[in-house]
Amino acid sequence: MHFEWMMIPYSLLTLFIVVNYGLLLTALMQKIGARVGRRYGIPIWQNYIDLVKNYGLRSSITHGVMFYLGPVFRLSGGVGLLLFVPTIYGSVMFSNLSFAGDLILALYFVFFGALGMALGAGESGHPHAAIGVSRGLSQMTAAELPFALAVFAVALQYQTLSITEIVAAQQGAVLHWTLFTNPFAVAAAMLSFLGSMMRPPFDLVLAPQEIPIGPPTEYHSSYLALMQTNRVIFPIAKIVIYMNLFFGGAASWPVFFLKVFLIYLFSLFVGVAFPRFRVEQSIRWFLVWALPLGIVAIVLV
Amino acid sequence: MAHIALATGFILILIGLYGALTNRNILRMIVSFTVADTGVNLVIVAVGYLRGRTAPILDATLPAAEAAARIIDPVPQALVLTAIVIGVGITALMLAYAYKLHETKGSLDIADYRELKW
Amino acid sequence: MVSPIFIIAAGLGTAFLLGLLRDEWRAAAYGLTLAALAGTAAIAGGWLWAFAIDGAAPVEILTAGTPAPFAINLRLGLPEAALLLLANLTGLLSAVYLKDTLSHLGRRAMAVLLIIVMAMGGIILTRDLFNLFVFFELIVISTGGLILLSAERHALGAGFKYLIVSQLITILLLIGIIFAYHAAGTLNIDGMAAASLVMLKGGSLAFFLIFIAVVAELKPVPANGWALDIYEAAHPAFSAIFSAAVASASLFAVDKLLLIGGPAWLPVATAIGIISFVASNLLALPQTNDRRMLGYSSVGQVGLILTVLGQRDILGDSTLFIAGGILFSHAVAKAGLFWLSGLVAGRNLQDWSALRGQPLLIFAFVTFLAMLSGLPPFPGFYAKWELIHLLAGHGRLVLLALILFGALLEAGYLFRWFGYIIKGEQPTEVIVPARHKLSVAMIAALAGWALGYLWGGLSAHNNLLQTLPLLFALGFLLLEWLPAWIKNSLAIAGLVAWFILGYPGYDPLQLIFATIMLLGGALILMASYHAQGRRVGFYPSAMLMYAGLAMLIVAKDSFNFFAAWELLTVGSYFLILRGKHSEPHALSYIVFSLGGAFLILAGFALAAQGNSQFSIEALRQVAQPLAPWVFVLLAIGFMTKTAAIGLHIWLPGAHAEAETDVSPMVSGILLKAGLFGLFMLLMHMGKQQLYGVELTHVLMWIGALSALIGNLLAIFQEDAKRLLAYSSIGQMGYALFGLAMMNHLGWLMALMFVINHYIYKSMLFLSVGGIAKRTGTRLMYKMGGLITLMPLSFIAVLIGIIAMSGVPPLSGFGGRWIFYNAIMTAEYRLPMILIFLSGPIAFLYLFRLIHTIFLGQLKDEHRKIKEAPFWILLPQFIYVVCLMVFALVPGLALRRVDAYISQFFPQGALNWEGLTITSDYGYWSPVSIMVVVGVIFMTLFAWLLFVNRKAQKVKQFNIVFAGERPFRPETTHFAWNFFAPYRKALGFLTQPLVTGFWETLTDLLHTAADVARRFYTGNAQIYAIHFLAFVVVLFLLSRGV
Repeated sequence: MHFEWMMIPYSLLTLFIVVNYGLLLTALMQKIGARVGRRYGIPIWQNYIDLVKNYGLRSSITHGVMFYLGPVFRLSGGVGLLLFVPTIYGSVMFSNLSFAGDLILALYFVFFGALGMALGAGESGHPHAAIGVSRGLSQMTAAELPFALAVFAVALQYQTLSITEIVAAQQGAVLHWTLFTNPFAVAAAMLSFLGSMMRPPFDLVLAPQEIPIGPPTEYHSSYLALMQTNRVIFPIAKIVIYMNLFFGGAASWPVFFLKVFLIYLFSLFVGVAFPRFRVEQSIRWFLVWALPLGIVAIVLV
Repeated sequence: MAHIALATGFILILIGLYGALTNRNILRMIVSFTVADTGVNLVIVAVGYLRGRTAPILDATLPAAEAAARIIDPVPQALVLTAIVIGVGITALMLAYAYKLHETKGSLDIADYRELKW
Repeated sequence: MVSPIFIIAAGLGTAFLLGLLRDEWRAAAYGLTLAALAGTAAIAGGWLWAFAIDGAAPVEILTAGTPAPFAINLRLGLPEAALLLLANLTGLLSAVYLKDTLSHLGRRAMAVLLIIVMAMGGIILTRDLFNLFVFFELIVISTGGLILLSAERHALGAGFKYLIVSQLITILLLIGIIFAYHAAGTLNIDGMAAASLVMLKGGSLAFFLIFIAVVAELKPVPANGWALDIYEAAHPAFSAIFSAAVASASLFAVDKLLLIGGPAWLPVATAIGIISFVASNLLALPQTNDRRMLGYSSVGQVGLILTVLGQRDILGDSTLFIAGGILFSHAVAKAGLFWLSGLVAGRNLQDWSALRGQPLLIFAFVTFLAMLSGLPPFPGFYAKWELIHLLAGHGRLVLLALILFGALLEAGYLFRWFGYIIKGEQPTEVIVPARHKLSVAMIAALAGWALGYLWGGLSAHNNLLQTLPLLFALGFLLLEWLPAWIKNSLAIAGLVAWFILGYPGYDPLQLIFATIMLLGGALILMASYHAQGRRVGFYPSAMLMYAGLAMLIVAKDSFNFFAAWELLTVGSYFLILRGKHSEPHALSYIVFSLGGAFLILAGFALAAQGNSQFSIEALRQVAQPLAPWVFVLLAIGFMTKTAAIGLHIWLPGAHAEAETDVSPMVSGILLKAGLFGLFMLLMHMGKQQLYGVELTHVLMWIGALSALIGNLLAIFQEDAKRLLAYSSIGQMGYALFGLAMMNHLGWLMALMFVINHYIYKSMLFLSVGGIAKRTGTRLMYKMGGLITLMPLSFIAVLIGIIAMSGVPPLSGFGGRWIFYNAIMTAEYRLPMILIFLSGPIAFLYLFRLIHTIFLGQLKDEHRKIKEAPFWILLPQFIYVVCLMVFALVPGLALRRVDAYISQFFPQGALNWEGLTITSDYGYWSPVSIMVVVGVIFMTLFAWLLFVNRKAQKVKQFNIVFAGERPFRPETTHFAWNFFAPYRKALGFLTQPLVTGFWETLTDLLHTAADVARRFYTGNAQIYAIHFLAFVVVLFLLSRGV
């Protein structure tokens, strides 16, 4: 695969679709969550309002260069992650910029945004930001482990690191999905998924009531708007990887919307049912419950 | 005779050693060692002694041709002489040490000189 | 030629002549003494020249004109001449050293000194048993006299203890001699040997008595309490004679006796020797008195030589070379150290810090230390090499292990001592050594180097003192008077020149290592331009390390490899020791490294099966069942250098406490030596199985565990350099893991880590070092908010941590990508779990590093600090450029290596066509990634700039803080114990179990030694009983033989 200039508008199209879908999806999830708690919840277009408002606000404050760049890193991470992975299987139009690298690139690019964001938050000088980062990084190390094992298991299973080829191998029937051919890997990965969605019981990074909102404490106005944009892109970008690796990918946008919704719903499902873990509890939880599944997965492949 | 001398020599050595190891007084130890030395000298002479032979002096009564068959081996006797001289030297040195030791501490008890250890 | 009888006659005659002189003519008497000693030394030297150069035959001297057994005969051959020269020179130098004391005491003391030297000559020359006894007694008497030279008042007691024991020895010797004479009918040693005395009736017992009496003169453990007291109390100049010369003469006497005893007595000699060697080195561990410790060391060395004599059945013709090498090393070094001890006022080891500030004395001390430890290029090194090879070749492995263990113990306490000198408390008074004493010590040191050259020439190997890199490094010793920047330029030029010189000969793998070690070393040295003054000691040490590295990568045979290994170890030890608080860490570094080196030595010896010439290539042909053992020994040896888990405890302290420009050298470059060794090992030996266990599999687990534990411990460090040091353990774990995978991409990954780790770890160590220089602390929580004050350092650290964490688009990602491709074909999957866990943990410490230093709250005391110094920044930015280039075109360095590895693993090579790198499983396009990420980032940045163009920087405390103002930066900067919950979550994994293990082990050794040494109660009668018990036990044992 080579770069062609046409990839740019195509990628921007993907981005546009995903942003809009993400804005609606996250609001919908909020709403479902609220309904479970017997509240009315936000209107479905609330995210649009927030975003427009925040981009419209003019701030005259910065804490320094890294603080300024933090949200840029964050959003670049989200956009990049989305674009390095083919969105729709079999579509040249929506395979984005995946020529640049394979699964491993996606796996490691996840950290790009997190690292940049953490640096920006750090420069704000707010202790809550640092506490949030400390918690987030600690939890991430444990949560990523089962996922890494699952990815390894899947790569071994299909003998490739190319996402497209992994999706291709799952085509034909629902039973060809990794979900059925390698259930342990999927189970491990889905537990790990919970850890990266910022929802209970693993939401202590932002932890309202404790450290107001953690890393972004000092961010406001268009800084916050960039981060909010990322907040709608990043989960979907991540879910796309899950979908491609474990759930047969998506050959069309409707399938894409459905699968992303369902996978997202899983984290919400768990989130509304459980209270928040402390860091050491969540680390242990991942090591005790998710890790063995991952080990079984790579041993059995 | 030789056996008696030999046995006496060894007994003297043992007595000397016993004395040197059980007496804490430095002078007594030195004396014990001279006893042991004497024992050693006795042993040397006894080992070198040959029954019925004559002194190893070549003169008219003892022509050189017969010497090898008739004389006592002179070497052990020479050894004893040397050993005695050396023994005297060492005993003198030990006595000098005893004097010096007494000068520093006013004690002749060997157990008092234990500052250097471990 | 002057007849050797004059050696004895001159000594005796002058001693008598002195008795005739008037008391007042002290200067004349002293001059006469020196002249006599110089004369006898000259005679001995002349004979040595005749034997060694002209190849003269040994001469017999018949004292009474008749041959033995009717008269006493002497013999002079090559070994006799060498020993005579040693004895007479030691005597002469000690006499010079004793100038004031002798002049004060007068002619009698001089006469006694002459007598002892003469007596040693007698012992060496005589072939008559009774004559031997006489000379021994002369030694006893003169020793008794010379002990009184000491100003130490306890010396009297020590002398008396000696006299008591020597009485016992005399008794045994005389009885033995007379019975031996009775049985054999001769007193001539050769005659007795010819009559095979031990076969005759009663001869065996007689021989036992003689043998034990002479052996007792070697002060074997445990019958040696008296000797230690003498070493402790006597005048150091006498101790020098006693240790260097008397012991050598006595050893020669034992050697003659073994001629009579025949092969049956060799094991007895070996047993006595090795027990003395190991036990006295162990007992020396808890010593605090310098001279007593040297005494223990002397006993140990003599024991080692006795062991060598006992092994003559397998050593054959090499016995002389080996025993001589150890003996002369011991003699010169021990005499030198005793002479030095006379310059130091205090008797505690710590008091030797008085030597500090005296470069000449330190040079002498280091020379002696290296000689005693058997380091290259001194004779002990060549001798040890031969000895270990022959022992291994004949399967005497227990003995081999004991010798190496004892040598390690000895190196341990010697190097600890050296640490006290360099790092002990500042001395209160500066010593001003008298010129004659200083010259004596320096002559000994130079003699050591000369012997090193001689033994190198005699050995069948490369003479190390003729190798260019080593000479270049030693050359800096002569340039110490120059300012640092000139020496630095010379050093850089030397490294670059050596690289260019070697360039055509390197294969791709060597090229990578040579680039890192030589060019990389030159790059780090640029930071050294920052140093002021002359920086005495830095350049010889650093260049010694680089010399070792340069020789290591081109070494073709095991000898050169091992010699280079030892050189770089020693050089880096001196470098590390330069740090302010690095003394304990440098010690544990050198002990671990020497331990590792000994394992390597044993491994090579085992592989070579007795041939001391063994090419590295020949490792391929090592036969089963030996091969896996060789593999294990070599692998553990190399892993001490890469600080694999379990052997890592030296690293954090050593790297953290080193100087700013030393840390990157020892971390970025030195660790690669271990990896290079492992490359060599795996390349030539491949997979090995031991009891059915695949050893590369074990290595994989060790690598994975190192990666995990190294990273894990790094996150709990408050000290920035310690953090980086622990991270090195983790990174080396990755590299080891890659190597142990034994597939194409695994090796490529290991090489990628070699390159990457060098770049980013050197860069980070420099940055952190520069910051520590400015802030005056390495504790990260004491810093904070430095980004605006030190922006360049920040950029370097930022680039460094992005690269290290493996986040695209920088070069660390390439390593991760190759890693994933490599594990696709790995045979074992479980170790991956640890690697997967350790990967993200790296983020924790990396974030902590940059956050707590540069972000957060600026401290009041740091408001005015400046950016790091220019010369420290410059290399960092060269590294930034390197990282960027390597991130964009990794093929530049890796392509050729990839092709090179194909000869070992044809499967799995990467495809480097175009911009995209392709493997069997995936693809990766560094340039595309960089461009894509750059474009996205710049677009969003432009957008933010557009919407947020008016942003102004606010003050530090202008944060959302419940409407209040935070109290102080210290309380607002969340930095200390940053990852506290992690410790709670992981429990035992964060406990210092390994450190605990090694500490317990050393404690155990020390405690055991401390308890055991109480055996020497100090009571003369108890010592006598020790001796008798020793005789009885040995008698019973030898009957059993």
